[in-house]
Order: sequence, then structure tokens, then C-alpha cells
Amino acid sequence: MNSTGQNQAKTLGNYRWGDLPDPNKWADCVHCGMCLESCPTYEQTGQEQHSPRGRVHLMKAVAEGKLEITEDFIDPIFACLDCRACTTACPADVDVGGLIEEVRWQIRQAIPLTGTKAFISKLFLQGIFPHPSRLQALGRLLKLYQKSGLQKLVRQTGLLRLFPDHLAEMEAVLPAVGEPVRKKYKHSLVKAKGETKRTVALLTGCVMDVMFSDINEATIRVLTYNGNDVVIPPTQTCCGALHVHAGDKETGKMLAKQNIEAFQDVERVVVNAAGCGCMLKEYPELFRDDPVWHEKATQFSEKVEDISKYLYDTGYERPKAELAMRITYHDACHLAHGQGIRQEPRAILASIPGVELVEMPNADRCCGSAGIYNITHPEMAQAVLQSKMENIPNEVEIISMGNPGCMLQMAIGVLKHGRNEKIVHTVQLLDWAYQKENGKEWRT
Amino acid sequence: MRKKALYTNDPHIQALAQIVGEEAILYRKEDLIAYDCDGFTVHRHLPKAVVFPKHTAEVAAVVKYCHEHDLPFLARGAGTGLSGGAIPLNGEVVISLVRMKRLISVDLENRRAVVEPGFVNLKLTNSVANRGYYYAPDPSSQYCCTIGGNVAENAGGAHCLKYGVTTNHILGLEVVLPNGEMIEIGENGILDPPGYDLLGLLTGSEGTLGIVTKITVRILKSPEAKQTVLAYFDRVNDASQTVSDIISAGIVPAALEMMDQTAIEAVEAAAFPVGHPNDIEALLLIEVDGISAGIDEQIEEILHICRTRNVREVKVAQDEQERAKWWANRKTGFGAMGAISPDYLVQDGVIPRSKLPEVLQQIQQISEKYGLRIANIFHAGDGNLHPLVLFDSEKPGETEKALAAGSECLQACAAVGGSITGEHGVGIEKKEEMRFIFTDEEITAQTNIRDVFNRKNLLNAGKLFPTPGRCVEVKRA
Ligand SMILES: Cc1cc2nc3c(=O)[nH]c(=O)nc-3n(C[C@H](O)[C@H](O)[C@H](O)COP(=O)(O)OP(=O)(O)OC[C@H]3O[C@@H](n4cnc5c(N)ncnc54)[C@H](O)[C@@H]3O)c2cc1C
Ligand code: SF4
Ligand code: SF4
Repeated sequence: MNSTGQNQAKTLGNYRWGDLPDPNKWADCVHCGMCLESCPTYEQTGQEQHSPRGRVHLMKAVAEGKLEITEDFIDPIFACLDCRACTTACPADVDVGGLIEEVRWQIRQAIPLTGTKAFISKLFLQGIFPHPSRLQALGRLLKLYQKSGLQKLVRQTGLLRLFPDHLAEMEAVLPAVGEPVRKKYKHSLVKAKGETKRTVALLTGCVMDVMFSDINEATIRVLTYNGNDVVIPPTQTCCGALHVHAGDKETGKMLAKQNIEAFQDVERVVVNAAGCGCMLKEYPELFRDDPVWHEKATQFSEKVEDISKYLYDTGYERPKAELAMRITYHDACHLAHGQGIRQEPRAILASIPGVELVEMPNADRCCGSAGIYNITHPEMAQAVLQSKMENIPNEVEIISMGNPGCMLQMAIGVLKHGRNEKIVHTVQLLDWAYQKENGKEWRT
Repeated sequence: MRKKALYTNDPHIQALAQIVGEEAILYRKEDLIAYDCDGFTVHRHLPKAVVFPKHTAEVAAVVKYCHEHDLPFLARGAGTGLSGGAIPLNGEVVISLVRMKRLISVDLENRRAVVEPGFVNLKLTNSVANRGYYYAPDPSSQYCCTIGGNVAENAGGAHCLKYGVTTNHILGLEVVLPNGEMIEIGENGILDPPGYDLLGLLTGSEGTLGIVTKITVRILKSPEAKQTVLAYFDRVNDASQTVSDIISAGIVPAALEMMDQTAIEAVEAAAFPVGHPNDIEALLLIEVDGISAGIDEQIEEILHICRTRNVREVKVAQDEQERAKWWANRKTGFGAMGAISPDYLVQDGVIPRSKLPEVLQQIQQISEKYGLRIANIFHAGDGNLHPLVLFDSEKPGETEKALAAGSECLQACAAVGGSITGEHGVGIEKKEEMRFIFTDEEITAQTNIRDVFNRKNLLNAGKLFPTPGRCVEVKRA
């Protein structure tokens, strides 16, 4: 089972499977409760087992042998959004999110999923995401569905009502699917405009490349515009975040290894999806028990940077064209809490002439997307989304952010709450400004 | 989250579920474990159930039921208490007030606000800040602790030196008495109504006299100006002397906080470092506020005093960002201990300011005696010490040693004419230490008062006062 196979201790209380959770992670928790208010699920329920402190307490109780891994234990562990807000709030730097993932791995082995849940989980997590070609096929299907009029038909005939609510909502906000960049630029390097200052590799992301290939295109345009040659290593794959969040550490490791190798020869890996970027930076955690891969993963993770920070740090051309828009910015959890990137995307937006950047209250509060959380926990996801929507400032035209998962969820929110803001990636806005400056068509 | 069907044969659970609704009760072990302690983790006990009432009538109904069926019960806010006040020692029904978290009204004209008990302290300031007001009591746990819990513990905070603790800001309370009856005390915010000072009695009663369900608090106009000074000292004695000198000079700072070397090590290793040097014995964080005129002179005087007391480096915060950074570092100080120690026990002694150097020295000796590190982060201005005893509960015997060391720190405070708690309450933690400052007769007088309210002693029993008849060697110092 355990491919790295280097575990010394075999059990830890009632954790009995390889790759045990790291006891140091809960040892740091002093039970002070300073994390409570940061937690969206505690805000919704007021229940301590649904708070970071409570979750840590429960996970520790299992390690102490006081609690078995039962359905009632699992519930709060899987209801965690993995939003990492508690990590920001915690004075002792307790990595609650990381612990949750490690414990989910234990749970998945103690109580394997059964029935439809297992089917769906397997289909998406193992059958589709790790296989770019299948994902692209799904994308083609989606495109066909959108283009052929089938989508219209389905919507008109009310066939959607047959879907569970949340899936129907998702269908409604699916973006128009374009051609994945990984396919389009296969084996080729996209040259910088003008003199080459740096070369970077782009992680195309699996969902990103299929559903939001236009954002990938925009990213490439912005990078090349700023003197970067862009390479797209063809053997790269899904980052594995969804798998690791769901407790499937094995697949997570497999994907991590593949990516580490795919990006071996590049110096910089630029990522435009916060969730993926955060995962790549955390690869070393996956290999805590495996010194060889741990070392490789550490070297790899140091090369990874989010697009907004990369542009901000290396310097980017200030756009000259004006975009007269009122914009608010949503901090994706895995950007703000996961990677500590808050100010850079705001700075980029504010540097576009004409943009009026309006802060939204609690901008770094989770939107409820959290990977596949909106599929597995629709009710909680909706409640969390609702609070988010209530915080959107009046009369903004655009809500900007740096993560595709959030974009889908926010789009559902806007639709559901009868609003009409547009959801646009930070880098897309910069791209629009550049395009406009150069007299091109700039708004999709 | 999974919806759980009520599945129990326990008639009490069924009855309580009838009152609050099935989605507002927890009774399975997995769900109860998170309620087995509060911020004081040395004692643990599972409650019988946890209920989440939505309004006063539900609280009253639950209490009435418990009263009639002799079920022990207690109130819980955010569970950040540091003395074990919310620990269900007797398998209580825990009445969690966190779903009663509305800000009921704000009356700026009369400078007051009405909140439900689960409303979080900092949210009150956040709700009125844009109109130029704030709620003064600011415990370091203000991001999360509830105003109900603040009332119960009579919480203090860094800025209570100038503005007073919770009790100075409470204008009225709605309380469910231990038999389920509801009363209101405090009249329309008129301070000091005739008759006994029931508000004063209830505030700080540590949840033993009733359950607070509505609170009228005073809000203040935000000070026009604020200046904050950070001073690094090579010797802790110089820092202590500076504190005395500032107060003697007639300055009343809004806050006057001290951290010693071990504390500095922790906050610098934790999530909100400032870049304090690691080789100083103490730092002071001093804030003055008020109308703009005069603030600069006060700051000049403070800088001057620091310099005459051999300060190594002293600086004034250049902007709000820098000030916020210093305060975040200070206010997360307790939690920061997690970065250098698996467990900590925070004590809460009060001493006359002039005894600061002497008592700090004694604490150092206690630390050496037990072989446990003790960090000090505290409200130096009002002599409210917080020795943090660092220990590892996994090591056999170390918890006991930590408790003993903590107790000795309190004894040292009592011996110089101080007290065993400034703001964290007695709870379970310090109930035996009550004997350091009260005689048996004095304690009995107090429990007699409790018994008037809490006749059956079902509400939060076993807290605040020493267990009767228990033989303790150390009596009044
Ligand atoms: C990191 C940290 C820093 C802290 N800093 C400070 C500080 O600077 N100053 C300070 O004073 N304290 C401080 N505390 C202690 C604690 O936060 C306070 O005592 C706070 O008032 C507790 O509020 P709570 O909502 O968490 O109450 P809880 O811990 O839930 O309860 C505390 C007590 O109040 C009772 N209670 C709660 N709600 C009610 C109610 N509605 N009616 C009646 N009784 C009730 C409970 O039964 C219990 O006895 C700190 C704690 C931590 C963890
Ligand atoms: S996780 Fe951090 S903030 Fe939360 S209780 Fe533990 S130490 Fe405190
Ligand atoms: S990761 Fe988010 S949802 Fe999970 S415990 Fe932390 S704050 Fe709560």
C-alpha cells in the first residue's frame, strides 16, 4: 500500500495506517480559542467540534486512544473547508488544514467510501483529474454540449431539475469552454515579446485548462508581454490538491512525483490557480517520511510562485489604457491564508488606470468552494457563500480573484442571489488593459 | 454536515431536545469531547449534553428543566476562560450561548449598546468604530471571547489601566436565575441605582449566580489621538522602575504592558513577530491617548523617563500599521507560547506596583526551583502579573509541578499584599488559593450569598470557592 514505505512507527493511538499524522502539529495547540471566529463552519454552527480548536482536540483524542474513528468523528473532519483561515489566526502557527488532510487519509483507510459516494469520488479523483486526455475529452464534451444547442435544450426543457440542486447551479455558470493551452502549445515555447528577460514554466492546471483556458491564454499573454519566455511542460499533470484534501494521499503523491519530474529542468513555475500553487508549495509535506523525495519536493516547491506575486516581484509593465471600472477583490483562501499573498494582486489591480478598487469586508473569508466541497457539503457551502455575497460592496461591476474554484462558486453566488457582477481573474484584468492599450479586442 | 436523527433513550436528552430543537443539542461522545475543557486544559470532563438556545425563553426553559430534575448545568461562551470556569466538572448540561450573538441595539446618543451574551467582544468595537466609538474592555482574547463570558469573569485588558475593567462598563443585565426565573437589573443605564449593587455582584460571579442573557454596555467616544511607545531594557529592574516613574509622574497611560525575555522569545517565534532583540531582559509597550493637545508632551516625558532608566532603545510607532503590529504581537502572546512549549499554565496575580522587581525575582526563583521556564507577559501599569508556566503534559509529573509552581507564584503575590486573580477568575484553577487571601469565615460569608441565588448549587458547582473541609497546608500567608 505504502509506496514510500519508510514509516517507523506503525500506529498512533487509533490511527493504524501508514503515513501517520504528525503529532507535532497538534502539540503546538494550546487550546486558546483564538482561531474560533476565523472559522466559517464555527460561524455557521457555533459548535466547537466544527471549529479549528475542536477539530484539533478530536484528532488528538484519536491519537490518545480516547476516541475511535467513527462516523461521528469523521463528520467534523470532512466538514472542514480546508480554508486555512485558522492558520492565519493561530498565534502558535498550528497547521490545522495540514493535520486535517493527514487525518482524512487515515479515515479513508479506516472506513473506505461505499456506494455512489465512492463511485463519484473515484470517477473524478482517480478516473478523470489525473488524466489530462480524459479531462480534455470531458472538456470537448462540454463544448459540444454548449455549442450544439443541447445546453439550451436541457435548460429549456427543465431537464436540469433532475439534477441535484448544486449540480444544476454549477451547470448554469459553466464558462464557455475554449481550447486547452496544454494542447495548443504542446512542445513549443511561447516567446517573449521583445527581449527575453526570464524563462518560466506555466502550470496549466486541470480544471483551469479545460474550463478556463482563456485565463491560461491571458496568463501567457501577460507573461510574454513582460519579457518572459513561457514553456508548458507536456508531462505535467493535475496538482493533486483535490486528492490530498479528500484524503487520497497515495494519488496525491503519485501526481506530485510526476509534476516534480515534469518541471525538473525549469527554474520558475508560475501558477495562476491559488489552490494548485498552495499544493505545489506543500509537496514536501507529502513526503515527510521519504527523505529522497522530500528533498526533491523541497527544491521543487521553492521554484513555485503565484502569478500575481511573480509579476509584482519581477516588475511588470504598468498598463496605460484605462479600464473605468469599480472592482472588488476576493482573497482566495489558498492565496491569502495558504500562501500569504494579499497585497500583490490588489497592487496589480490598483495599478490599472481607471480602476476603482473597493475593499469588501471580510475579503479573506472562504466563499465555500473549497475544491469539491460544494459538491460534498452543499448546504454548508451555500451558507458560507451567502455570507460572502452579503459582503460584496454596492455597485461594483467586477469581483476579481486568483482561483478558478472560487470563480465558479462566486458565479453561482451571483446567479443565485440575483446579482450581476462579473467574475474575472486578476491576471485577466491586467491582460484586458494590455490588449486595449494595443488596440486589440480586450473584453471577453 | 450530516443531519443526525435524535437517537437516544435518555429522557432528559429527549426533553431538552424538545425545548431547543434537535439541531441544537449535542449528546454523543464524539461531539462532546470538544467541550471537555476551556482555555484551562489541566482538568477535563465530558458534559452530559450541550444545548444551543436561540433566545432567553429557551435558556429559561432549559434552566427550569435542570432545576426541577436536579441536573447540574453551566453556561459557556467561547470557552477561552483560563481558570476552568466552563469545564463541566460534574457532567453538567452545558448551555452554550454562542448562537445568541445579536447586536440588539446601539444608542449613540446615550452611548450604550445592547448585546446578546454570545456577541464577540471585538465585534462591538468593529460595529461602532466607523461612527467614532468603541467598547473599552479589551481582553487579549477579544477576537473570540464573548461579552457574556467577559461579564462572568469581569474581564480586563491592556487598556483597562485608564478605562477600568468590564464591571465599569456594564449598565444593565438580563439574567436567568438558577431556578429558571428571569430578572432584569440596572435601570435604563442609570448608574448606581438605589439598593444593593446587584450589577456589581453579578459581574465577576463566574457564572455561579445566574446566566446572563442580555447585556447593556457603555460605549465610549474613540480618543482623538493615540501614541504608542516601545522600549527595550537590558535589565528588568529598569523596566519595572520605569513603570513606577511613569505613574508617579502623574501620567495615566491607556496601556502599560511588559514582556520579559522568555515571553519575547515566544512571540518572536510565533505568528506575529515584530523583530524585538532577543538579548533584552524586558520590553515595555506604552500607549497614551486622549485629546490631541498634550499627547506629544506626555510622550516626551515618557521617553525622558525611559532614558533616565537606562533604556537601550525606545521608539514611537510611526503609523497605525506599526502600532497594530506591536499590539498583535502583544495580544497573541499567550497563544504564542505554543511555539516554544507544548503546554502552558497562565497565572493571574495582582501586586502593588512598587513590589514588581521583588515579585519578579521570586518568580524567577520559583522557576529555578521547579526546573520549569516561566514567561511573564503582563499589565504592568496596574500590577496585574501573568506568569506563564511552561510545561509538557506528556512528561509524567510535569503537570503537577506546573500547578505547584503556579500556586507558589500566587502565594508570592498574596504575601506582598496582592491578590490571586486580576481578571482571569478563580474557576477551578485557583479555588484552593482563595485561602491565601480569605479566612474560612470570609469564604463562608461568600458561599452564603451564592446559596441565596443558587439554592440547589446545580449551577456551575465546584468552582470559585475551595472545597469545604479539604485540608490544605498553606493557609493565609
Ligand atoms: C489567549 C487568551 C488571552 C486572554 N487574555 C485575557 C485578558 O487580557 N484579560 C482577561 O480578562 N481575560 C483574558 N483571557 C481569559 C478569557 O478570555 C476571559 O475570561 C473571557 O472573559 C472569557 O470569555 P468566554 O466567552 O470565552 O467565556 P467562557 O470561557 O466560555 O466562560 C467563562 C466563565 O463564564 C461563564 N459564562 C460564560 N457565559 C456566561 C453567561 N452568558 N452568563 C453567565 N456565565 C457565563 C462560564 O460559566 C465560565 O465560568 C484570555 C484568554 C486567552 C485564551
Ligand atoms: S489551533 Fe491555534 S488558535 Fe486554535 S486553539 Fe490551538 S493554539 Fe489556539
Ligand atoms: S481550515 Fe477553515 S474550515 Fe477548517 S478548521 Fe480551519 S478555519 Fe475552519
